[in-house]
Amino acid sequence: MESILFWVFSIAAIGGALGMVGTLRNTVYSALWLVVSMLALACLFIMLNAQFVGLIQIMVYAGAIVVLFLFVVMLLNLTGGVMGAEEQPLLKFVGVALAVAVSLQLGSILLRIELPWPEVSPEYGTTAEIGRALYTDYLLPFEVAGVLLLAAIVAALAMAKRERG
Amino acid sequence: MTAPDLDLGAVAPLCVVAVGAALMPLLDVLLGRTKTFLSRPVTAAWAGTVMSLATTGVLSIALVMCFDAAGAAPRTFNRDHPMILMDGMTSFLNIVILIGSLLTALASGKFLADLAINRGEYYALLLAAVLGMMLLVASTNLMMLFVGLELMSIPIYAMAGFRRDSLRSNESALKYFLVGSFASGILLYGTALIYGATGTLSLLEIGARFDVDDPVLLIGSGLLLVGLAFKIATVPFHQWAPDVYEGAPTLVSGLMATTVKVAAFGALLRVFQMAFGPIDDLLYPALWVMAVLTMTVGNVMAIIQQNTKRMLAYSSVAHTGYLLVGILVGTQVGISAVLFYLLAYTFMTLGAFGVVAVLAHAGRERERIADLAGLANSRIFLAAVMTICMVSLAGIPGTAGFMGKFYIFRAVVEQAIATESSSLLWLAVIGVLNSAISLVYYLRVPMVMFMREPEPGPEPDRSGTFEGLVLAVCAAAVILLGIWPEDLNLILTRVDVLHWASVASASP
Repeated sequence: MESILFWVFSIAAIGGALGMVGTLRNTVYSALWLVVSMLALACLFIMLNAQFVGLIQIMVYAGAIVVLFLFVVMLLNLTGGVMGAEEQPLLKFVGVALAVAVSLQLGSILLRIELPWPEVSPEYGTTAEIGRALYTDYLLPFEVAGVLLLAAIVAALAMAKRERG
Repeated sequence: MTAPDLDLGAVAPLCVVAVGAALMPLLDVLLGRTKTFLSRPVTAAWAGTVMSLATTGVLSIALVMCFDAAGAAPRTFNRDHPMILMDGMTSFLNIVILIGSLLTALASGKFLADLAINRGEYYALLLAAVLGMMLLVASTNLMMLFVGLELMSIPIYAMAGFRRDSLRSNESALKYFLVGSFASGILLYGTALIYGATGTLSLLEIGARFDVDDPVLLIGSGLLLVGLAFKIATVPFHQWAPDVYEGAPTLVSGLMATTVKVAAFGALLRVFQMAFGPIDDLLYPALWVMAVLTMTVGNVMAIIQQNTKRMLAYSSVAHTGYLLVGILVGTQVGISAVLFYLLAYTFMTLGAFGVVAVLAHAGRERERIADLAGLANSRIFLAAVMTICMVSLAGIPGTAGFMGKFYIFRAVVEQAIATESSSLLWLAVIGVLNSAISLVYYLRVPMVMFMREPEPGPEPDRSGTFEGLVLAVCAAAVILLGIWPEDLNLILTRVDVLHWASVASASP
């Protein structure tokens, strides 16, 4: 069962990525394919017993960030012609080179992995464990991060609020 | 699971500032709605004064609390997993930060009204930034350090762009934001590498596990230093400073040049003290070059500036150089000298920016040096304060600036003789030569004020009561710190940094 699900989600993740590159001419489709890839990755994380990372993957990446992409695409009305990677061969070359470099790096890491994996406690990476760490050891930075969010909201207001009267 | 062993008293001043930051937007709204309580609506200027006084009040409460904590034993918030250390050095730096921001808050009421940017968010942002600074100087953990740095920076980005209708203010905010984000990114990358190499974020643990031959750890440490170097504006990471200081509202520039710098220096001192002990020898040449470049470039570039705020920006770069010299000495005496210098520097720089801020009139800031012409005739008080600050920044005896430089260069020479290090001696020589160069541009300002005829134009505004008070406090502190440095330091901060062998208590 688990291996069937693993294959399903892996293929979905890779398919989503390929779909994203394939539909570059229509950036909205491209962003939606990215969601497919992100969701499949989130499922893979959850299968790896990293529920928290999986949920955050859905909320932050598939949710917030892609929505932000879509906002930008729709607000600026970007179409394939405007994006115009094909008109800049240098950009295309750099993109391909980066993709190759990252693949090589990932490959070299995969080759170096020493089995068996080190033992970790079954709670490692679960939401409960992360919550415990946040509310004990990391209590102060956690609370301060709350103030930081407040400050960011006030800062955004100060920049964008319409003048009264 | 057991409850963590918390000491809430240790963070009481931080809590006061945080609550103040959260309540300030509420007070703003309430002041706008007082029509229901009073028979007539409050004017914007009146509301601004109330906000500025409320902020000053919050900061004074925190100041008194820090003052109380200054005499006590070191404390931390979470004893199981210390993230901050409230020791003598933290108390001292917190007090300097609180004094600087308190003076700024007090002067802000009329300043914001004059520039027609009297919006309540300013005070909430100010308090949030102060909280970030206080955490930054207290942090003994890289995660806390990063959160503190961001909490300090993000409100300041918005405050730099507070004049939304001014293109230069927008430019200032955008530049500061971009450079600051890069700096944060670099610092964070360094933190990640250090964590990868040592498996810990605690500065003390990093220092204990430091493997000098590990390239990952060395690169991480370098990136961490570069990230902090951006914040304190050392050469070659200083180019943003003049543009940002010039465009930001003058009091915000003053805040950036003083308290932000104090906070970043505090973090730098902690990192050196706790974590980077094992690589002192490796860092020495790099910091030596950086200190010499920072002093020299700052002073030489300041000479050719026509804009007072740009001149003060390069001057603050030069002072960063002097402070780096103190850090380079690496002895306890050197650190004491740096701490005292930060106190003296805060008063003289705030005073200078304060005078430029008072000259703001009807939405225009008069900030060319030529605009100061004849100020001695029209506004003798402003001219006197400006002169005192300039003389002190130049380091002429009888002022706080002189005593600060004296302590730093004395520490350098003592250490140079003790270790027979000619490079340290050269550092002292270059530093003194730089002080001489700086006379050229510092003394030009009093000359323009006293000896030039004023250009025809509207008279400068009268300074408000609170602004006048702030300027008087700065001028008095500059002079008294120059005459009784040790006594006044004790009165102001209760932490005897000048005679304190164990400013750096390494526990808990």
